[in-house]
Amino acid sequence: MSMSTAATATLAVTKVDAPTIEYGKLSPILIIAGVAVVGVLIEAFLPRPARYRAQLTVALVGMIAAFGAVVWLARDLPDDHRGSVTAMGAVAVDGPSLFLQGTLLLIGIASVLLIGERRLEPAGGDAFAPQAAAAPGSQQEKDAAAAGWTQTEVYPLTMFSLVGMLLFPAANDLLMMFVALEILSLPLYLLCGLARRHRLLSQEAALKYFLLGAFSSAFFLFGVAMLYGYSGSVSLDKIGVASAGAMDNDALLLIGLAMVAVGLLFKVGAVPFHSWTPDVYQGAPTPITGFMAAATKVAAFGAMMRFFYVALPGMRWDWRPVMIGVAIVTMVAGAIIAITQTDVKRLLAYSSIAHAGFILTGMIAMSDAGVSSTMFYLVAYGFVTLGAFAVVTLVRDARGEATHLSHWAGLGRRSPLVAGVFALFLLAFAGIPLTSGFSGKFAVFQAAARGGAGSLVVVGVLCSAVAAFFYVRVIVLMFFSEPKVDGPTVVVPSVMTTAAIALGVAVTVVLGILPQPVLDLADKAALFVH
Amino acid sequence: MNLAVAEHGFLSPTGAEIAFVLIGLVVLGSALLVVTTRQVVHAALWLVVTLGGLAAEYLLLTAEFIAWVQVLIYVGAVVVLLLFGLMLTKAPIGYSEPPDSAARIPAAVVALGATATLLTVIVDAFRTAYLHLGDDTVGSTEVTGQSLFKVWVLPFEVLSVLLLAALIGAIVLSRSRSRAHSGRKD
Repeated sequence: MSMSTAATATLAVTKVDAPTIEYGKLSPILIIAGVAVVGVLIEAFLPRPARYRAQLTVALVGMIAAFGAVVWLARDLPDDHRGSVTAMGAVAVDGPSLFLQGTLLLIGIASVLLIGERRLEPAGGDAFAPQAAAAPGSQQEKDAAAAGWTQTEVYPLTMFSLVGMLLFPAANDLLMMFVALEILSLPLYLLCGLARRHRLLSQEAALKYFLLGAFSSAFFLFGVAMLYGYSGSVSLDKIGVASAGAMDNDALLLIGLAMVAVGLLFKVGAVPFHSWTPDVYQGAPTPITGFMAAATKVAAFGAMMRFFYVALPGMRWDWRPVMIGVAIVTMVAGAIIAITQTDVKRLLAYSSIAHAGFILTGMIAMSDAGVSSTMFYLVAYGFVTLGAFAVVTLVRDARGEATHLSHWAGLGRRSPLVAGVFALFLLAFAGIPLTSGFSGKFAVFQAAARGGAGSLVVVGVLCSAVAAFFYVRVIVLMFFSEPKVDGPTVVVPSVMTTAAIALGVAVTVVLGILPQPVLDLADKAALFVH
Repeated sequence: MNLAVAEHGFLSPTGAEIAFVLIGLVVLGSALLVVTTRQVVHAALWLVVTLGGLAAEYLLLTAEFIAWVQVLIYVGAVVVLLLFGLMLTKAPIGYSEPPDSAARIPAAVVALGATATLLTVIVDAFRTAYLHLGDDTVGSTEVTGQSLFKVWVLPFEVLSVLLLAALIGAIVLSRSRSRAHSGRKD
């Protein structure tokens, strides 16, 4: 009898209140998601020759529109620069979200310009395999290359990844954060395996990245479950409230914190979760490497800051010593292993590991200055690294990009302009004054010193000095060695790569000489919404 | 007979619990057949019985949502995927020789040990526990649906973007067009 009454109770229709979603506040994300879907439709319905132009136009226009939406939202922020939480608490629209989303969209625009470059391959085509399904070295592959096929699906895949990146630093609960993490990662795993040259290396990189990435995602998810078990919620605010009163060493909270941190540290490539970085950066198509190196770091550091600043500020005395250790190991290992590298892409990969350590230094400061200096560093680093990888695509010999360092000997005598631009990027990596790298390093070290992490600053400055050694070594190699007889040539790119490199140079120089406007903007945008 | 007022001892023989045990035996038997049968397709079909039986067990525990998810995802999707995998990959189907038996005894020991541990923990933890589920059952389809489409609506919708990206990626990696077809529309 009671069962039958229960059955009628479930059959009774109850009114469901619709969730409140402020679509305007999600507009940058929605625009890019729309661009990705339009890209898929272009693949389905447009004839093959028309797709390239259409994809490129839709992606660039969409990203510019989304950037406009970010600016519009930023102007709408109230005067105290507090943001708000939207989509039933899933997404935070506040200063750090909008600042990082704007950065990501600008990096995205420059990356799509690099991805769309089609002048570099002597036989025509872009940096991607003409047909990914053909086995490397097979007749099918040769036929596909001879027919001049290209796979324009890379544009929607890049846009899908960008959707995840825009959501990742804005995610206000751990579930949204995990979904965003997967959306940004999955297309990147795929894109890594699509290189036109050195396909086995590229496929190996994709598989490694996928397996290790899946492993780190599992860590992240298990950590989320632990934190849910501790606080009864996945919302960062509620975890923050619950963990603020944590007096004793609560195992669930500490294990959850550590496992989520492992997932995030993997994405930024911090030691000891860095082992994928050199292989993946080397194997992936170079425009994708640039996109990945610049944009993934921005998104992942944004998410990491929100996680530590919003969910776990009360736990800082537990996580800070560990993160200080991670930062030190990351800076030292990145700088020292980079010295032994003989491949430009691997060298830049280890340099990106060292930079992850510098960026962690800013995050550890645990103050508004820490947030703003970290965000400034991310802008500076993102454009320098994208520009550096763009230059790598230009230096070529018969087998594609000549990435071995010995081939770069004497490049400065053959093409002073390209070598000069690369030297500028290397100086910015090293943090020489009048480049953006110096302003960024100065800002994070200042924030860390004020935040009471003086030892970290000492290690950071020493590592910068070690790192400067191998950057300067490359510059010396380019300008003061005899060029090889059968050395590589510098291919003249189309206006797209030129524009991307010019953007990188402009940001590097402007942020080096006049950093104040961007520093002020980052200062204003440094408050996380609670 | 009123189920809700009946005494709630461990394994008290009400009708629902007898059915629970009987279905449990079917699940156990078919699960054993999954790993012992020599025909890989038969194994997949026995897996349908195992997973379907589990769904029935969930229903008896009034976890209707989990039950239908079990049917949709495990019986519907996973087993079908398994069979499609067999069809599409030219893997040998039909009778197969017993696998290398060198690791069989250690594997059995590990499996038995894991089972014993799990049984001990579960029996120890829940033997005396009795949870009264109110009318607004946590885990019912209604409650799950409410929270899924109200609180978690954005992550839920955004997951479709992930699936679309995975789909496009799978097509990019697997689809090959031959020269013969390329002149048609390209």
